[in-house]
Amino acid sequence: MSLLASLLFVPAGAALGCSLVRSRRVMAVLGMLAFGLTLAVGVALLLRVAADGAVTEWSGFLRADALSAWMVVLISVVSLATSVYAGRYFQRDLVARVVTEWQVKEFFILTPLFGCGMFLAVLANSLGVMWAAVEATALSSVLLVALYNRRTSLEGAWKYVILGSLGLALALLGTVFIYAAACKGSSRQLPSFDWSYLVTIAPQLDPRLVRLAFVFALVGYGTKAGLAPMHTWLPDAHSEAPSPTSAMLSGVSLKIALYALLRFHILTAACLGPAFSCHLLLGFGLLSMFLAAPFILVQENLKRMLAYSSLEHVGLICVGIGLGTPLTIFGALLHMGYHALTKPVLFFAAGNIHQSCHTLEFRLIGPGMVRLLPVTVLCLGLAAVAATGLPPFGLFFSELTVISGGVAAGQMTISVLVLAALIACFCGMLRQFTRILPGEPKARSLGDGRRMDGVPAMGLLLGGLLVFSVWLPRPVLDIMHQAAGIIGGEP
Amino acid sequence: MHTAPTSEIPAQLIALFAALMLVAQLLLAVQRMLLTSIRLFAIQSLFLAGIAAVVAYSHNAFHVYVVVALTLIGKVAFLPWLLDRQVRRMKIIQEIEPLVNFPMSMLICGGLTLLGYLVARPFTSLERLGNNTLAVAITLVLTGFFLMINRRKAITQVLALLTVENGVMLAAVALTTYGMPLVVELGIFFDVLVAVMILGILVYRIRETFASMDISKLSQLKG
Repeated sequence: MSLLASLLFVPAGAALGCSLVRSRRVMAVLGMLAFGLTLAVGVALLLRVAADGAVTEWSGFLRADALSAWMVVLISVVSLATSVYAGRYFQRDLVARVVTEWQVKEFFILTPLFGCGMFLAVLANSLGVMWAAVEATALSSVLLVALYNRRTSLEGAWKYVILGSLGLALALLGTVFIYAAACKGSSRQLPSFDWSYLVTIAPQLDPRLVRLAFVFALVGYGTKAGLAPMHTWLPDAHSEAPSPTSAMLSGVSLKIALYALLRFHILTAACLGPAFSCHLLLGFGLLSMFLAAPFILVQENLKRMLAYSSLEHVGLICVGIGLGTPLTIFGALLHMGYHALTKPVLFFAAGNIHQSCHTLEFRLIGPGMVRLLPVTVLCLGLAAVAATGLPPFGLFFSELTVISGGVAAGQMTISVLVLAALIACFCGMLRQFTRILPGEPKARSLGDGRRMDGVPAMGLLLGGLLVFSVWLPRPVLDIMHQAAGIIGGEP
Repeated sequence: MHTAPTSEIPAQLIALFAALMLVAQLLLAVQRMLLTSIRLFAIQSLFLAGIAAVVAYSHNAFHVYVVVALTLIGKVAFLPWLLDRQVRRMKIIQEIEPLVNFPMSMLICGGLTLLGYLVARPFTSLERLGNNTLAVAITLVLTGFFLMINRRKAITQVLALLTVENGVMLAAVALTTYGMPLVVELGIFFDVLVAVMILGILVYRIRETFASMDISKLSQLKG
């Protein structure tokens, strides 16, 4: 059985299937089935990589090491939850006449393609193919962001595609520079572009070219990952997309771009020593965290605030990797996982609130949401507690791991800075949620029909978050230790 | 001194074509007519194809011929045709006044060209094809960025993005012997094609919704 190829063919098949059928319910089921299947395959892949190391297929075209396997599981989980949530979500939108049947169909066709692009990005061995796949994820998600066809959503989509494409053009230039270094460093005329090959010859590559390549890749993939100061598209796209798409963009798509950047980071560290790329990652990570904090505090729009919270989390992941010790890298990988379980819940809950109140402005949502949408608010509250890094949720442990790893490595200043940024973001989130959740509602009832909306998807993610916060299975720990080893430059 | 694997005439041809690409870019920077801008982009892509053809011929490399064919079909014929059709359908002829006026734009592009040569200088020893190709490539990327900031029509922004991409592809030809592996070239080719089509759809929808293609009207999302 070929694990890796099936990860590409199953979502592609689902997209094809959705384009052929008319029934909306069948399309929703196809999406769920596809990502349920990829989750099963992902877990199988994770077990296999944890036991035997990297898996290759198609004579080395596809390759999955511990890092890729971890990303595959994250993509599958978030996409599965999204498909579970999307069916009912669009049904409500259709009833409210916000979308047309055709737009819903567009969503169900493009979402598996988006997933397929992400799978290819993490499974491709060649850096060039990885670039093409990341670009494909950007392109498949643009029309999803523009789905509602409102003025603002078109604006968000335009900024997303223009900034994303410009960024990715720079990333391509970085990719070209790495290949040029490989051409020079290798005796072959047309050397392999495979990452697994490049990493073996990395010490012989021309350091000037590699340095240039990393800078371009950092700016390029950093734009797609939403690192400050290239993040300006992020709140627009996240707030204007339909909530299921926001969940996928924030939950995994940002991390796919980070993954691509990590591949360059590993090559650069192997060629130039870790200092150069680690310092850059640290700088951009800290900047993102500090930029996110004030914007969270003053934000007037729920989904924009959540987008800035993603900026904070991406920043923390970068800091964890930039600190460069096995412990902090481990913490960063753990953080990726917990964030992927938490952020979609927040966006799903925001989607419910949007559909009930027809607005995302805090001012108009008003206080007392807990009376109006108790179940949604319960999930939102739990996820918000998790996202701000309070125990007993996993994000607390991963943040603690990064900070204590920093302290253990003697990086006192950076650890204190990280802690300060985290506390600032915590205060911002706390203030914003206390504005809408507690209190007396403004004499308004939303009816009973909407109480249980989105519970299966949110329950799935929150359940997973709770379970994995207290118990990490052996293979998952192994995978993350292996992945941390790969990033840390162990052979 | 660097060793030029190509013999004298191909190297000079490549330098000439690269210079012509730069000329096309500078003309694009001061061009107000949208249809002419699209032609200029097509001409620039034609020179890129020419460079690839010279490389393919002098090394007798089959897969570079494929790249030539893809560039000719995609960037010289198909994309200009697509953009052309869209512009005609929307009945827009001129770019509105750019942020920076044209003489100033020319001056800035001149400055960016100098910058491109400065950035490329340390790497001339790595170039396999003459001295100027990498410098031109970097200049194309820089001026493409400038064009993108300076112009406000959606179509011109798409063109600017495409010239940035041309610059990257020129860098790929300049720095490597045979360009990149075929599968990568194919991936890039299809991505660019799909990107322009999706941008086209968006431009169309923006036009429908805002009754304008002026990007500066897209300014509601802030903070």
